[in-house]
Amino acid sequence: MSVTVNTTINGKKITGRAEAATSLLEFLRDSLEMKGTKLCCNTGECGACTVIFNGKPINSCVTLAADAEGAEITTIEGLADGASLHAVQQAFIDTGAVQCGYCTPGYIMSVKVLLDRTTKPTAEDIDEAVSGNICRCTGYAKIVDAIHLAADRLAGRA
Amino acid sequence: MAKAEFSVVGSSPGRIGGVERVVGKGVYGIDVMLKDQLHGGILRSQYAHARIVSIDTSEARALRGVHAVVTAADTPDVRYGRSYMDRYILARTKVRYMGDPVAAVAAETPAIVKQALKKIKIVYEPLPVVIDPEEAMKAEAPTLHEDMPLPKNLPEGAKVKNVCGFAAVHVGDPEKAMAEADIIVEEAYETKMIHPQYLEPRMTAAQVEPNGRITVWANAQAPFPVRQEVAKTLGVPLNNVRVISAELGGGFGGKGSGITSGAAIEPICALLAMKANRAVMIVLDKAEETISTTIRAGAKMYIKTGVKKDGTILARTGKVIYDAGAYSGFGTQAGSRCTNMLGGWYLMPNCHIDGYVVYTNKQVCGPVRGPGGPQAAFAVESHMDSIAAQLGMDPAEFRMKNMPKPGDKIVGVAKLRDVSLGETIRIAKEKIGWGKVKLEKNQGIGIATGSWIESAGPGGGAVVKVNEDGSATVHIGKIDMGTIPGFGIPMIVAEELGIPVSDVTVLNVDTDASPWDAGTVGSRGILVSGTASRLAAIDAREQIFKMAASQLEASPDDLEIKDKQIRVKGTPAKSVALATIATNAHNVIGEVIGRGYCDNLKLMAEEKAHGSSQPFTTHACVVEVDPDTGNVKILKYVAVHDIGFPIHRAAVEGQIEGAAAMSIGQALCEQVVFDKNGRTMNPSFVDYLMPTINMMPRIETTLVPGYPGAGPYGAKGAGEIACVPPLACIANAIYNATGVRVRRLPLSPENVLRALKEAGR
Repeated sequence: MSVTVNTTINGKKITGRAEAATSLLEFLRDSLEMKGTKLCCNTGECGACTVIFNGKPINSCVTLAADAEGAEITTIEGLADGASLHAVQQAFIDTGAVQCGYCTPGYIMSVKVLLDRTTKPTAEDIDEAVSGNICRCTGYAKIVDAIHLAADRLAGRA
Repeated sequence: MAKAEFSVVGSSPGRIGGVERVVGKGVYGIDVMLKDQLHGGILRSQYAHARIVSIDTSEARALRGVHAVVTAADTPDVRYGRSYMDRYILARTKVRYMGDPVAAVAAETPAIVKQALKKIKIVYEPLPVVIDPEEAMKAEAPTLHEDMPLPKNLPEGAKVKNVCGFAAVHVGDPEKAMAEADIIVEEAYETKMIHPQYLEPRMTAAQVEPNGRITVWANAQAPFPVRQEVAKTLGVPLNNVRVISAELGGGFGGKGSGITSGAAIEPICALLAMKANRAVMIVLDKAEETISTTIRAGAKMYIKTGVKKDGTILARTGKVIYDAGAYSGFGTQAGSRCTNMLGGWYLMPNCHIDGYVVYTNKQVCGPVRGPGGPQAAFAVESHMDSIAAQLGMDPAEFRMKNMPKPGDKIVGVAKLRDVSLGETIRIAKEKIGWGKVKLEKNQGIGIATGSWIESAGPGGGAVVKVNEDGSATVHIGKIDMGTIPGFGIPMIVAEELGIPVSDVTVLNVDTDASPWDAGTVGSRGILVSGTASRLAAIDAREQIFKMAASQLEASPDDLEIKDKQIRVKGTPAKSVALATIATNAHNVIGEVIGRGYCDNLKLMAEEKAHGSSQPFTTHACVVEVDPDTGNVKILKYVAVHDIGFPIHRAAVEGQIEGAAAMSIGQALCEQVVFDKNGRTMNPSFVDYLMPTINMMPRIETTLVPGYPGAGPYGAKGAGEIACVPPLACIANAIYNATGVRVRRLPLSPENVLRALKEAGR
């Protein structure tokens, strides 16, 4: 059984068809061919598929496409303003937080939501915001650097 | 070499390929989309050990939407492997682990693939299963490979079975020396299997081109070995196979061993594409990946060392039982490395270690990040602390007492050139506050060292093309998984050609176009492709200087390139744009194409002559052990490394931090758990515990200057060595905190609590 999904992705109204069991991740990647959001564990454990859903970071692999009806979704493709990168994106490059880059889109979405809330994140804030995003390359050191650099830039401290 | 000599290398510019990765436009393997692509899936054994009685695919074939079903009957009788050819791409008569590929399907949708796989009827005759490698060696154990001979170099009279590799270390006369020891310490250590768990699922896409050639897209760390093995196992000529590498979402050696890594996903996918005559793509489910692809093997290590009262090591004997899994895979090589490293990297005048690599009914050993190293170092460096405790000596001082000097030999290395080990210990002590930091109740401090190889394996080439605008396009055989193609290589080429890093494009591997390479493994990226790229850029520069010399009326030797201008040294007004020369080249030599090659035989000869300048490291940490739960929290972690000259400092730090984190994961929580039937109990990310940010300490990295390596500008490989010390480093800190030595990984709450209870604490 397929359903019609009316949703807003990166500010653009989208109408698409999805099977009832289709995940939002599959809808994005396979139906809309938006490959920026990454598939990994498919069980909501690793955070590689994180998108912003009505202002909150969610794992799109364990969210049904049908539940996106009427939702406002931001994916990694919607973060940069033309050629100008979002501060979080730029900070990930500048600090060396992007190694293989596979966790990066999901990571950046989680960090964006964190820094929308506060540009003075404590260690606890960071742990809470991204403990659902696994990175296997960096040991998280450079990612923490990137979060602080982005926060400083957003707050005009750097 | 002083940093000031260089304009680019030694700094940390943003990674090439960074922008596409942060905007979601990086094309990884799983993002590949081919026209009219079918979905592929693999049927895997549900038994860890069984004879295949019959396979019936008729119902699956009859299913609507199914385009191909393949089994061993569709393949030539050709085996593959690394040192032992003991494996078919699809099981023929036996399955040997739960995950062994038996059949495969290509169909219109993933749902039809699943349905079709269920309709393949296989009758198995289950056989006894053996999970423990030590049990597998015994006479009563089931035989995994009836037709594979035992290694020829086994010790005389060795009564063993299921052994697919043997390595031995013999130095001096350990028996005699042991008799002269004041103290003898004998222990046994054990590590468990972990999966590298790179985030990007393993994939392959394949299609048959109109001219009959097969194109394979693979997220493999070794595209050339994949090409060779696809051709061999499918019985097609090598020149009819083209392997294209997409960007890799992590590999860590788990994608590094040709078709062994992915349990033949590449030839299976290519076979489906040939049978279906359509493009086919297979993407592994993460749980399927955990049970079927290559892993870091577990090892049992027996270690006995005799020392004098003053702390001088006299002798070591030991035995390694290294778990190869169901097929030899990379086990023979990794087990041999583990055996050598059990001899340690300190002065060791007398030593005898036997290493057995053993078949078991589990997934197969691959070259996962520092293969064999972390296991050996867990035993060696824990053991060093046990000896120090028996001597009543400071563990760091005991290590310094047995420190090799330049010119000395250590086990497996005939001569050392520079020895940075002592310096890394000194700095690590300073950074962690050794003897100074105030430890609260249940807190402890630990130190452990490590080393890794300088060079091993074949060389590789590079081609640097200089375009009409002075930009450069680089072909190397190493893939981009957050390693050198985006970091060090563009910097090296930019440095030698006097152009900005952003003007350098490093192409991903296409076996039709790239220079041959053994794979992005063994910390060899900077050594092989770095050396080759530098020589290729210098070759290109010499061609450019030759052409510019006549125009500038100067000798080529008097020229330099800076800021894309070729200038006469000392007379900067006399200059010509690089773009002009590169364009004029069309009428002179066609195009500026520099060629470089890392001559591994020359490197090995040099290493023999002047000694090995291998990397050394010391890690130190402070932990807190919760005596009620057994939970271990790392409060501070320092990693001190000599990796020679850091070409891209942030990238080198990133490699160290990532490798350390992977071993911290292995130390504290990671392991693949089996039941007695060989079923993996924790295949999914829900159950396979990996470190998240909240359990990972800030890894504080220090790079030690002054010990140049064999790579370009004195660089050394940095990708693996930081995996070596953490296991023992944390175990030593736990011992310091509790007085209890945990000799079996992981140092999980369960195991730590059990050890505390057993010790009556």
